[in-house]
Amino acid sequence: MLVRGCAGGELRHSLAERTKALAAKYHALCSPAREESRSVERNRPRHRKSQTRWYVKQPTWRLWGEERVDGAIYTVYLKKVRYHRPTRSASSESDDEISHLEWETVRVRFVKAGTVERLVEALATDDGELESTYVNVFLATYRSFAECSRVLDLLLRRYEALASEDVLPTATDNSQQHRKTLVACLHVWLDTYPEDFRQPPHHPALQQLLAFTQLHLPGSELHLKVLQKLAVFSAERNGGTSAGTGAGVCLAPGMRLTAHHTSTYRLPHVPHRHFAEQLTRMDMELFKKLVPHQCLGAIWSRRDKDRSHDAATVLATVNQFNAVSFRVISTVLVEPNLRPLERADILAAWLDIARELRVLKNFSSLKAIISGLQSNPVYRLRKTWALLPKEKAELFEELARIFSEDNNRWAQRELLMREGTAKFADTVGENDRQLQKLLHERGSPGVSHGTIPYLGTFLTDLTMIDTAIPDTVADGLINFDKRRKEFEVLAQIKLLQGAANAYHLPCDAMFDRWFDSVIILDDREAYQLSCQIEPPTNPPKDRRPKKINDNNNQGHRKNDSIASTSSSNSSQFYCETDGAGNSWKRDSLERRISPTRLSHGSSSSSLPSLDVSLSSGNSGQKPANGKAAGASPAYANTRNGPDFYIIRVTYESDCVETEGVVLYKSIMLSNNERTPQVIRNAMLKLNLDGDPDTYTLAQVLPDREMVLPANANVYYAVNTAYNLNFILRSRKTQPVEPVVNGKARNKRY
Amino acid sequence: MREYKIVVLGSGGVGKSALTVQFVQGIFVEKYDPTIEDSYRKQVEVDGQQCMLEILDTAGTEQFTAMRDLYMKNGQGFVLVYSITAQSTFNDLQDLREQILRVKDKDDVPMVLVGNKCDLEAERVVGKQQGSNLANHFNCAFMETSAKAKVNVNDVFYDLVRQINKKSPKEDKKPSKGSVKCVLL
Repeated sequence: MLVRGCAGGELRHSLAERTKALAAKYHALCSPAREESRSVERNRPRHRKSQTRWYVKQPTWRLWGEERVDGAIYTVYLKKVRYHRPTRSASSESDDEISHLEWETVRVRFVKAGTVERLVEALATDDGELESTYVNVFLATYRSFAECSRVLDLLLRRYEALASEDVLPTATDNSQQHRKTLVACLHVWLDTYPEDFRQPPHHPALQQLLAFTQLHLPGSELHLKVLQKLAVFSAERNGGTSAGTGAGVCLAPGMRLTAHHTSTYRLPHVPHRHFAEQLTRMDMELFKKLVPHQCLGAIWSRRDKDRSHDAATVLATVNQFNAVSFRVISTVLVEPNLRPLERADILAAWLDIARELRVLKNFSSLKAIISGLQSNPVYRLRKTWALLPKEKAELFEELARIFSEDNNRWAQRELLMREGTAKFADTVGENDRQLQKLLHERGSPGVSHGTIPYLGTFLTDLTMIDTAIPDTVADGLINFDKRRKEFEVLAQIKLLQGAANAYHLPCDAMFDRWFDSVIILDDREAYQLSCQIEPPTNPPKDRRPKKINDNNNQGHRKNDSIASTSSSNSSQFYCETDGAGNSWKRDSLERRISPTRLSHGSSSSSLPSLDVSLSSGNSGQKPANGKAAGASPAYANTRNGPDFYIIRVTYESDCVETEGVVLYKSIMLSNNERTPQVIRNAMLKLNLDGDPDTYTLAQVLPDREMVLPANANVYYAVNTAYNLNFILRSRKTQPVEPVVNGKARNKRY
Repeated sequence: MREYKIVVLGSGGVGKSALTVQFVQGIFVEKYDPTIEDSYRKQVEVDGQQCMLEILDTAGTEQFTAMRDLYMKNGQGFVLVYSITAQSTFNDLQDLREQILRVKDKDDVPMVLVGNKCDLEAERVVGKQQGSNLANHFNCAFMETSAKAKVNVNDVFYDLVRQINKKSPKEDKKPSKGSVKCVLL
């Protein structure tokens, strides 16, 4: 909306200009050091000029026309070059003529389209010089039109052709310069995209390059680099995957469930700044690992299921985004018995975390939280939202405004332009009262932050470019202008990746454990819980039957690709010990203060963090058993009973390591699940292998255990007057230690 | 001039983006810039009335599942796209429609079911009858389109405009968006 009106055109224009500036900045950033070499120096002033000129309104470039040669089309520009003082540069052949020139017009041509051969040739100019911008665009995008081996082949063959020319008497400096440039290209390629050469297990491209350097450039820098890369790759292969699991170092402590690590975070009483930092740390690790060219439309949006590994780093980022949103949704909904005010506190906590994320310029998790809050099951809780303090509601509006879809997401594009490579957050709209206050309070922080963008905007842009601009033009020539356009986006991503290095965030294993412990609800589960908290005003007629249909075919498990992050594989675990940690005590104290809990009294026994007893908010319900303080029994309201319960299952184990630690997994129990299915679900969550028939499931009641018959409908068999705590046991008298996969427990979604 | 917010939904690879690009500017454009506002906006005349269509295309972000609700909340009309060459994309739509009805809290939302890529007849796996059955079940319009061959593309959007007009004639006087937000304050 801001852009509309008279200023619209201009702003848009300046935005486009700045995009180019960003891309240009990137060129400058990643220009290979080799460009410094004497031979290329003549080119440099030209490059630098073109970069600064982006900011200038008066175009110094003028389109002259197109030029066609066999296998390629060039766009030709006339460019005004200014000279501040007579220099030795520019065209050396007419040195005396130009020495007094203030400016001149030169003709510059760019490849618009061509065959692969022509495109590889264009890596060097006609004079055999390195065209650094072109090289960067080419290496970032070539995968969408040619294989690595093909490009390498062409490059090496070109070198060899030039080398064979050399022995002729007609050999020129030009040819030598040409070869030098090709070697420089290979350096840039190896340095910038080493992954292209990984190709396990035999690294054919790298081997080819090795053979080439041994023959033509023995002992050269390139030769040594190839040898070194080979050594690294084979070491990785032989040394197992230890080097490859970078995050493992950080996660390792979290995988050990020692009895000392008993406390955990519990919303809303969490350190907001710390949470924001930890979310940012997780995002940063993934963002730095992101391979930009995997975002290209040709790879990300055209991929099919078999090729999804081609975009693995993009997928990992998307999954983390969803994981954050799901945690927002889950923490707001999962305890149906909270009073509205308590639930509003959770909303407020997430908003406080989001606010800190804004300061940290982490737009990915920020948007994930806002999306979670705007998701239907949370957003529709009007009574809860109504209890949010005014300034928090304002904050929500202001943060949501950043991600408005209006005017093609103008607000967030603009913000990213302004702050992408800035040191810290300093942009607020004139209507953003809460954010103004925030930035005013913080002043300019001593530390500078990186930026983590919301990747989706880039992915949409790249998909649209891929759709709108044809891959080939005129008789099947590769449309290289399309690749330039794509590179404008990729360059922004790379620039931000560089900026992300500015983050220095500690790793908190306890946070990781908390993150992993949150149960994930899928759309329907979340909606059902939401409706139990605040029943819909006019329950629509035609939705019930569908849900039942779904239940009949195990409907909570979606099987399409979109649902890859749904609850089916969520891992939820929770640990507590006899000697309850500090946070537990604090927590139970707070609970005692809250009026609804008063009547229950309190004891040292801790309240499980995810006690999901699905009563329908009937707060007057007297607990049938007063033993567990605050833990209200599961109670199904007969009128509006849930179609499922969330039950907690623990595995009986004599393992010394876990003594005193109870490991719970929460699972959904729908109204048509029988014992073997429930056991199977529980085994899945608990990472147990084996035959479900060799296990028994029992509900833990205060005075005894109720073992479920082999083929009972568990939903109807459970005793809902008590907590839905279950124990899974191996039938064997001699319990065999189960295969528990510690790594899987820390898996993230 | 009345504005219409239209959301294009469907699994990845069904050609959503091609439908949008074809409708808004026609494939293939020499100079295309997805970052400017006009990439997703088009003024058309439907039944003698000038309309401004704002298209929200989810292409590239299908897997950001948590964001779908927001798209749905903001949209007035929905294009549900599958590819006639991939059964799974057809099956995914049932869930999407359910989600739309949930978010909108209505049983009847302006919607068009679209079987795209009908130029690829040789690769067809979803029959036309299947599509029209589903549309009956959804109680919505159905069209087979080809963004590539420019078949039925405009009709999809015109039909939606008519549906929106029919269901909520001239409602843009009262700011519906504002009233939702007021609840939060």
